[in-house]
Amino acid sequence: MLYRIAGQFKTSYQKDQALFPVQQDAWLLGIILLFAWLILPLTASEFVFQTLLIPVLIYALAATGLNILTGYAGQLSLGTGAFMGVGAYACYKMVTIFPDLNLFIAVLLSGTFSAMVGVAFGLPSLRIKGFYLAIATLAAQFFLIWLFEKWAWLYNYNASGAIQVPNLDVFGIAVAGPLATSMAQYYFILIVVTLITVLVINLTRGNQGRIWKATRDMDIAAELIGINLLKSKLMAFAVSSYIVGVAGAMFVFLWRGAAEPNLFDIELSFRVLFIAIIGGLGSILGNWLGAILIVALPVILNTVPGVVGLEIKSATVEHINVMIIGALIIFFLIVEPHGLARLWALIREKLLIWPFPH
Amino acid sequence: MKNLTKLALAGAIAAVTATASMAQELYTPNLSYRTGPFAATGIPLMNGQRDYMLMLNARDGGIGGVPVNFEECETGYSTEKGVECYERTKGQAIVTQPWSTGITLQVLPLTNVDEIPILAPGYGFSPMSDGKVFQWAFNMPAGYWDAASMILNELGGGTPAGLAGKKIGFLHLDHPYGKEPIPFFENMAAEHGFEFLPIPVGLSEMQNQSAQWLQIRRERPDYVVMWGWGAMNAGAITEAVKTRYPMDQFIGVWWSGHDADLAQVGADGAGYRSISWSQPQNDSGVMQAVNEHVVSAGDSLASDEERSGVFYQRGVVMSMMLAEAIGNAQAEFGVSEISASQLRWGLENINLTADRLAELGATGMVSPFSTSCSNHTGHAGGWMLQWDGEKFVQASDHLTSDMDAIKPLIAAAAADYAAANAPWPTNDDC
Repeated sequence: MLYRIAGQFKTSYQKDQALFPVQQDAWLLGIILLFAWLILPLTASEFVFQTLLIPVLIYALAATGLNILTGYAGQLSLGTGAFMGVGAYACYKMVTIFPDLNLFIAVLLSGTFSAMVGVAFGLPSLRIKGFYLAIATLAAQFFLIWLFEKWAWLYNYNASGAIQVPNLDVFGIAVAGPLATSMAQYYFILIVVTLITVLVINLTRGNQGRIWKATRDMDIAAELIGINLLKSKLMAFAVSSYIVGVAGAMFVFLWRGAAEPNLFDIELSFRVLFIAIIGGLGSILGNWLGAILIVALPVILNTVPGVVGLEIKSATVEHINVMIIGALIIFFLIVEPHGLARLWALIREKLLIWPFPH
Repeated sequence: MKNLTKLALAGAIAAVTATASMAQELYTPNLSYRTGPFAATGIPLMNGQRDYMLMLNARDGGIGGVPVNFEECETGYSTEKGVECYERTKGQAIVTQPWSTGITLQVLPLTNVDEIPILAPGYGFSPMSDGKVFQWAFNMPAGYWDAASMILNELGGGTPAGLAGKKIGFLHLDHPYGKEPIPFFENMAAEHGFEFLPIPVGLSEMQNQSAQWLQIRRERPDYVVMWGWGAMNAGAITEAVKTRYPMDQFIGVWWSGHDADLAQVGADGAGYRSISWSQPQNDSGVMQAVNEHVVSAGDSLASDEERSGVFYQRGVVMSMMLAEAIGNAQAEFGVSEISASQLRWGLENINLTADRLAELGATGMVSPFSTSCSNHTGHAGGWMLQWDGEKFVQASDHLTSDMDAIKPLIAAAAADYAAANAPWPTNDDC
């Protein structure tokens, strides 16, 4: 009904391979973009910006980065949190050394530092695979957190060992620090996230994406058809860590405002990994669905008792919340082990052939 | 369908009455942590704070006739949840009680914009004492540098000069909270000629400190001073017992003086001391009032044992200071429903004299102090509490900190903070 494709003829190969072979998908995306760019920012309150919109964007971006490595190239990583930290500390050092640097440039450059660190820790991936590689990335996680604590130069010898975001503006509009409005921060993040997402969608559809998928599915076969595994894996580490680093820089600069080293602890890595797994490995849409489930849903559930007028203690709400989210994760993974993105793909397929199921 | 409409109607009415009642209360949300890894130390403090406010509501109908809404927003000590809670409550709140150094650091820069005072009794950022720079932040009655100074005074027999030639190990959580006093200790060590040895404990090794205690055994410091929190305290104390470190040379800050941590080792922990700006007084008027109006009514969440402890009664004192500030503001501005900026005035003009403490029924629970526009801490001083094997007892006279040593540090750190966060508005009238 909604997805009737009768009458949409593809008369050339190019059209058949287009980003949206079904027109309704393009419409749907258009509506979502309209919401993201206009309707939500104009109607959202400070609370919605700070606890729903901004975190979902940032976590979805971080999960996108991880998904390239784990979902597309098949290399399991547990160091996402630390790579986010590298991006954040790199951005902090850049804006404190060059105070006039445009924050867009600083954020995009900070990804290159995490990409370099990511490649360094990705080197063992040629020799070790699967769970063993996960342990190697775990080493990166612990080593980098240790470095953030011990290397005082990174936090400008601040007595508390934390980094604090100064007031920064881009083209005269305050975007970071206490003076920034949530709307300015949201649009800054939205621009970067949209840009990177478009690039990633095309990257994964193209030649490089196929190389990664071949590496993931069977690396010996991939090698036999002439794929350079070292290049493919290191490329995945570089691109993935770059995106994760950008997400980390925005995580601190455009959302949190301050960070101590243990913010980037293994819990953050797991959180991003769960978003990617529950959303769906090897998909871009999944990162968004996963981020909404893991980041936004608990916040929304927290407000439910207050709206309905139930008097429940805050700690009890928190306990119930954890139980509901846990149950939902198990439910979704039982219904569709390949994640929410696959669930959506199935629904879409059913809608396409409706009302004539197989 | 009928039932559904009824339900919706009831919900709507409840929502309306909820917003209506909002108008006649003092909303002082608390960013509590009753869940998560630090819950064991958080719960008694939160219970103490809550019970005092419940007592005021039951006994006096609130403060100045307006009931206090002491709602809790659960953070689990997570900074992320803390910011969520801050955003959720800041609309109506007249004060923010952030309850973690991490959340305090996040919220601190926002205070000048949102104009809501932060109340961080005995924690947070030591330079918050400088009211000129931190116009909206309060850490009365004493900051971490006060604690460090009082410990050094006591160990040196009245003056840190008495420590010349000694070695002090500083076992601390490797986190903004644990690093706070290091600049002060380093200054004092250079000035008075004792050796200062920082021994960090990472967040992941809180429960297993064998490496740190091996280092302590090797270095043989004359004293070990501890800045620990949560699981780290219990870890350190059991490890000290295991390695037979002399307990009377082991001193903690006020957050390392939780009864339950010491109760684990019982008599083996006898001699351990903790500096404290508060002291439990089970027979005091305020504790009797809490018993009468909250505990007897069945509204308290705390057990009898918990209520006699240091942390619960410290929570009571915290709420008492907040209530005092609210009362001050009400008297000054002649309104019972004060705003956030009026409460700031109240917090800046706390004058808890010995007489006023006696009136409140809290003699001996905290030492008399006063705050001002430029002094947001009050520097009340405190006592050494010593574990006698069963409970904490007072083990020193009233101690005060060395303000001559602390003041320049506060001014320098506050100026650094303002410079790093420029443009940062300061209040030069103070």
